[in-house]
Amino acid sequence: MTMKESKNYKTLKAELDEALLWFEGDDLDVDKAITQYEHALKLTKELEEYLKKAENSIKKLQA
Amino acid sequence: MNPTFSVSDFVAVFNQTIAYAYPTVTITGELANFRVSKGKWVYFDLKDDQASVRFFGTVYMLPGPLEDGMMLQIEGIPRLHQTFGFSITAQTITPVGEGSMKKAAALLEAKLVKEGLFSEERKRPIPYPPSRIGLIASGESAAYADFMKIITSRWGGLEIIHVDSQVQGSAAPAQIVQALDLLNARGEGIEAIIITRGGGSADDLQAFNVESVVRAIAASRIPTLVAIGHEIDVSLAERAADRRASTPSNAAELLVPDREAMIVQNKTRLKGCLQTINYTLQALSKDIELQISQGLNSALDVIVQERHRLQQDILRLRGNDPRIILRKGYARIQDANKRTINSVGMVIPKDRIALRLSDGTIEAIVEKIIK
Repeated sequence: MTMKESKNYKTLKAELDEALLWFEGDDLDVDKAITQYEHALKLTKELEEYLKKAENSIKKLQA
Repeated sequence: MNPTFSVSDFVAVFNQTIAYAYPTVTITGELANFRVSKGKWVYFDLKDDQASVRFFGTVYMLPGPLEDGMMLQIEGIPRLHQTFGFSITAQTITPVGEGSMKKAAALLEAKLVKEGLFSEERKRPIPYPPSRIGLIASGESAAYADFMKIITSRWGGLEIIHVDSQVQGSAAPAQIVQALDLLNARGEGIEAIIITRGGGSADDLQAFNVESVVRAIAASRIPTLVAIGHEIDVSLAERAADRRASTPSNAAELLVPDREAMIVQNKTRLKGCLQTINYTLQALSKDIELQISQGLNSALDVIVQERHRLQQDILRLRGNDPRIILRKGYARIQDANKRTINSVGMVIPKDRIALRLSDGTIEAIVEKIIK
């Protein structure tokens, strides 16, 4: 797993958090809510995919 | 014949001989005459019932504050000094025996508490989950295996930089400090340093009560998590760390979420959003229903009002209906030309008139007019 992919998790998670946070606002616009929901659904699936596939990497150093 | 030496030669030969026979020695005994000179040099004796040996060292290799009477195990190099006589240059000093270890830990604890090394304000959060961590553990240990097993099953995408280090024995404190220095110097986005080992006797865990280790943990630029598999007597290293865990596995659990739980959590949150949309739609449809019902009510109100007005009109009209008046006993009088007679001046005697009542007409002749 590379650093880039690791950052990708954080980016995806941050995007998902933002997308979900939108639903906590007042005066929900229903049309936008559906677009936003679809966006959140896509991010959730991407994250699930990522989490299922991601592996840890180990680098050994000598003190 | 005995060998003959000058004093300097004797010192040189003695040192060579002893360096050959015993390059380093380990001696256990009771500390006596402990003193620190110029804040840097340390002089003391180790003694038992019958003998006493002089030692020399520096404050940097002390495990922490020491007091006369403590039992110590010292590794050092025996040496005959040209002017100061025989002493052993200490390389490592380790308190031994439960009483001495506790005493040493208590003395160090008091000193570090005073400096605020364990205070809560110093504790920093560890990113959750981190992307890259440093791991200080013995690669051969069960603690290492446990930590890796749990972290691998729970999470992915984590980069682990493992510094293989002894975590018990006389070499452990220096190696742990070196590993901490190494990881701090590398930086490279390391977000946490985990120091872990399994449980053991107080003697096995001694390295985690050594001043240099405790200070290195407290001074680490990168937040630290110390996990030692034991239940009682939290070590000073754990107290100096930003976070402590009860076992190596517990460290892995604290460090990263469980990926399956995370997937479920994301789905649950998403479901919550869907519910929010449903609630909003329901609220909107209720609003519309309310508006329609309010509209209908207004229309009904208008109809009721109109009906009421109509009834009023009908009643008023009914009040003016001549038939009602006629039914009360009044009559409408007309002459032969069907003119309504509303004055006595309109007729003269003998005129024929018709008296119209509600149920018929009486034809009559005017006999007399009275004014």
